[in-house]
Amino acid sequence: MNAGFEEKSAWVQFGALVLVLGSYFLAATKMYSAGVNDIRAYVPVFSISVVLLVVTLIAGNIVAIATSKSDQADERDRMIAWRSEYLSSWVMGLGIIGAITAMVFKINTVLIAHGLLASLLLSTLLCMGLRILFYRRGV
Amino acid sequence: MGKTKLPIDNSIRSLRAQHGEMTQQVLADAIGVTRQTVIAIEARKYSPSLEVAFRIARVFDEPLESVFQYTG
Repeated sequence: MNAGFEEKSAWVQFGALVLVLGSYFLAATKMYSAGVNDIRAYVPVFSISVVLLVVTLIAGNIVAIATSKSDQADERDRMIAWRSEYLSSWVMGLGIIGAITAMVFKINTVLIAHGLLASLLLSTLLCMGLRILFYRRGV
Repeated sequence: MGKTKLPIDNSIRSLRAQHGEMTQQVLADAIGVTRQTVIAIEARKYSPSLEVAFRIARVFDEPLESVFQYTG
């Protein structure tokens, strides 16, 4: 893979988020389907997921550093980061508007919290996906 | 993974060859970017900033228009 650290790091973040938070959402969906409506019941599972995510990101980035030349981010890296963040930020905004709307209609807290979390996850996935695309196809 | 090439063409590859087969890494170090960025510029997947363009021209001791050509 003819990629620098920044691109490898984007792959690591994308993979770790899909794997760990994807698993969390599967578990949370099962819990909600089983009738768990107390948000506090999700905290232990979520906490474990966050720890797993951090460990996976650290391990992945160590591998990315070890297999990359120690280059500093340059103007192309900064442009790609800025453009991908700009193009993905609307997903998070949509999630926040959705959460506020859900609060107005007094929708279950579990759904609001997970809706917000999902928008954060999707926004970050879109950001990393765009970053990878820009590195591969050009910007 | 293909993409329509950006409208600014360049002669960096041939200039590197003319300068003793200068490697992409040597050029990257000389102009303060990563080797991946030099690869992207050569492949017309990234148009560098004016500052980096001038730095590239200075490395090869050529005027800017000899290194970069607008084809749009």
